[in-house]
Amino acid sequence: MKKNSDDIDSVLIEKAKNGNEGAFSILVNKYHPRVYASLFSFTKSKEDSEDLSQQTFIKVWQQLSSFRGESAFFTWVYRIAINLAKNYVSSAAYKKQKISSSIEFLELDVSSFEDLESIIIHDQSLIEINDFIITMPESLKTAFTMREVEGKSYDEISEITKTPIGTVRSRIFRARESIIEYMKKELIDNE
Amino acid sequence: MNEIEIGEKLSALHDGELESSEIDELIDLVSKDTQLQKKLSFYSVMGMAANYESNNVVKIKSKKTKNIFSNLWLSNAMTAAASILLTLIFLNDNDFSRMNVDSKSFDQITSAINSKEAKNIAKQSEEYLTDHIMRIINDPSFMISNSNNIDLRNVGYKTNAIQGLGYSKGDENFQLRLEKKDFTLNSIKYWKHGNKMIYLVPMKDGRTLTLYGNISLSTAMTVAKSLNL
Repeated sequence: MKKNSDDIDSVLIEKAKNGNEGAFSILVNKYHPRVYASLFSFTKSKEDSEDLSQQTFIKVWQQLSSFRGESAFFTWVYRIAINLAKNYVSSAAYKKQKISSSIEFLELDVSSFEDLESIIIHDQSLIEINDFIITMPESLKTAFTMREVEGKSYDEISEITKTPIGTVRSRIFRARESIIEYMKKELIDNE
Repeated sequence: MNEIEIGEKLSALHDGELESSEIDELIDLVSKDTQLQKKLSFYSVMGMAANYESNNVVKIKSKKTKNIFSNLWLSNAMTAAASILLTLIFLNDNDFSRMNVDSKSFDQITSAINSKEAKNIAKQSEEYLTDHIMRIINDPSFMISNSNNIDLRNVGYKTNAIQGLGYSKGDENFQLRLEKKDFTLNSIKYWKHGNKMIYLVPMKDGRTLTLYGNISLSTAMTVAKSLNL
């Protein structure tokens, strides 16, 4: 049966609902860049976007039990983020919320993300990553693009490229490794 | 597991391609390793970069067809505007009544939309609409999971298997969904998303047609009309 990201998210969400912080941490790291990007486009402030994205995931953690899966997880998270941003914009009495000790691990995760923020908010960095992807070996570029841009499953890529599914998985991973290497070398100063 | 095996599994997890039986072990590993956690964020950022052109949301703003002439996207070409106007008139003549406002019913409608029930319905519809638009933008498989077997050759559009089972004609290509969903639209609504357009068209039979791609308003309406017969 064809799997998709929503299925895996559902498994992670169920585990997180049962108190599995590791599962929640995966969801945070997976969606944090997109939440941050959405908030930055709203606030145009790095500091406020950091603060609001942290608050978003705190709220997501607190309200996770109420998530019934009627919409995609990211849609739900996005709505929380944008509501917080709207309140932030409209409220003169906006104050930073203290991070509760029970979810301190979130603070660590968010701080580890700081060096990626500059990539997200600078269009030129995204364009450069795109340019790098074009230069990758054909087999890696095809597998990666089919997955990330066209949203094809590993099964579909395997069928189209007439390649074993294990090879597809490996090519996508290798493409990602080489993009990370490029990002660290060319776009992140301190690594 | 060696480093490469872990990496491959993490990459597969990001894509939703990991077997459920493999998840627990990976959660354990990721929760203890900040580098693995960070890799997930890297994956997400490179996904944003790979989709940068199409996901560069400049502004998502709902517009109704009556405002088409305020849309800069169209205003550069008088001929395009003229053809759209003609299409609008043509469609209205062909019982696209859901796009019109009946002035005789205006007072009745005004009192109805102020009722609590109507407000609840409107709120719920708005949420459905938000979900729908967010899925179009964020889930590449959403637009290829429905209605791929609709034949549009009668209006000149052939299916394009390479472009994710969309339809194409000349420079225009798009994907569509046709489904029994009521967003309580009474007119075509459309949004600009990067270099693509999203159109939601209420059909006569209560279904909603969604079109997404490099497609003009006049094409969207032509396609809608061909399905609305």
